[in-house]
Amino acid sequence: MPGGNWIRVWQLAVGVAALGAWEGGVRAGLLDQFFFSRPSDIGARLGEWLRSGSIWAHLGTTLAEAALAFLIGVALGVAMGFALARMPRLAAVLDPYIRIANALPRVVLAPIFLLWFGLGIWSKVALGVTVVFFIVFFNTWQGVREVDPVLVNNARMLGASERQLTRHVLLPSALSWIFSSLHISIGFAMIAVVVGEYLGASRGVGYLIAQAEGVFDTTGVFAGMAVLAAVVLAVGAGVNRLELWLLRWKPRVPDSTYQ
Amino acid sequence: MASPSQPAIELRGITHTFGGSFTALKEAGLEATAGSFVSVVGPSGCGKSTLLNIAAGLLSPSQGEVRVFGQRLEGINRRAAYMFQQDALLPWKTVRENVALGLVFRGKEMPVALREADGWLTRVGLDGFGNSFPYQLSGGMRKRAAMAQCWITAPDIVLMDEPFAALDVHTRMRMQQEVLELWGNAGQTVLFITHELEEAIALADVVAVLSAGPESRIIAEHRVDLERPRNLVDIRLDPRYQELYRKIWGDLREEVLKSFAGR
Repeated sequence: MPGGNWIRVWQLAVGVAALGAWEGGVRAGLLDQFFFSRPSDIGARLGEWLRSGSIWAHLGTTLAEAALAFLIGVALGVAMGFALARMPRLAAVLDPYIRIANALPRVVLAPIFLLWFGLGIWSKVALGVTVVFFIVFFNTWQGVREVDPVLVNNARMLGASERQLTRHVLLPSALSWIFSSLHISIGFAMIAVVVGEYLGASRGVGYLIAQAEGVFDTTGVFAGMAVLAAVVLAVGAGVNRLELWLLRWKPRVPDSTYQ
Repeated sequence: MASPSQPAIELRGITHTFGGSFTALKEAGLEATAGSFVSVVGPSGCGKSTLLNIAAGLLSPSQGEVRVFGQRLEGINRRAAYMFQQDALLPWKTVRENVALGLVFRGKEMPVALREADGWLTRVGLDGFGNSFPYQLSGGMRKRAAMAQCWITAPDIVLMDEPFAALDVHTRMRMQQEVLELWGNAGQTVLFITHELEEAIALADVVAVLSAGPESRIIAEHRVDLERPRNLVDIRLDPRYQELYRKIWGDLREEVLKSFAGR
């Protein structure tokens, strides 16, 4: 693609222009520094956090919560998605309850989980799980039901048992659906645990942001946001690579500029 | 192996109704002696695939029974391999893994199964493509892989559902020739479904004609006494082939016209 470099240059230009306008606006007095902070201050704060190492404990807590929420949510979602896709009667019975549970705004559960599981990491993990679970569950369910019946029949004619059918046909077939849900659910897992920390915690990036907000420290809030965004992007890139490897049997679609 | 006169597969009085209302087959009967190549022709929508799925045990008939080497069939037909019209290779497995699949399902160790698969890949002319994924192969090559996938399990019966319908004319002829070679070497009983009479006669010992649907049944069976091995490139010029063609087309023509009128 001849325009590749050209696009990079413009991408960079947009970022520099936005940050420059922000910095310039504050310096020129058009934006109030108290409410908007400044990119340079935010950068300095990030540098401070990294130098003192104070950010690592918070980031570690948030990542551990998100990772646990993600793993538990994915495991439950895949298992349940499989079970219901293979047992349509059970699915029909549970259908209204699944809808009701999914219709609940998850944020309102945060205070309840705080009561149930306390201020530690498990209340955040629980909140994250409720978010991740449904995304993965619905995608897995769909993925398993959309398996090409010819592939299933062929495997059965070749002598596959139920277990072999699941392992060699259903799971790989559902994988591309499951992966499309992983991208979304990583972001949502982070959001959920940060919201949980925000509402009540003694550690974590959400706690850090809440603390900064409590003293009207906008620089701290923005710095916390920057950390979260960077982490979600990094984890997403990891998932992308895993996906490329696991779905290497798929014909490559032409790269989009968003990848 | 069974005695030569025993039917490898018998379909007796098969009636099949979908969803309680649409009767695809009514009292259809067919038998294939062990080692014979039987083609079933019929107009589109006449329930050919339904008949084959019943022979495979993928569908159980509403009425009637299937006997495989004299045994009543319950569930999947374990002595049969099935070659589908659509691509049925698992897209996430390499070609050699796909070919080895039937052996792996039967409990063979993976390395042993893969080694055997490599031998089959050579036999069907796919040397060097073992580590490709199906999407990287042409339609004809995928069919070769599907053939190897079927034959590797050493089935007694091979069921084929218009396996080459999606291929171009020349590739199809090569595939047909290869099927005849595989069959000639191993001597399975083949039940071959097609809507094309040329293909049916060129390949088979017996051509059975299925009537237009719904409520299809077998209305005629014709013996094809062209000698083997056959040369498919020139067989269409053989006067006896043409005579058979005219005779069987006489039966099939009516059904094709009926199927036009039915829709």
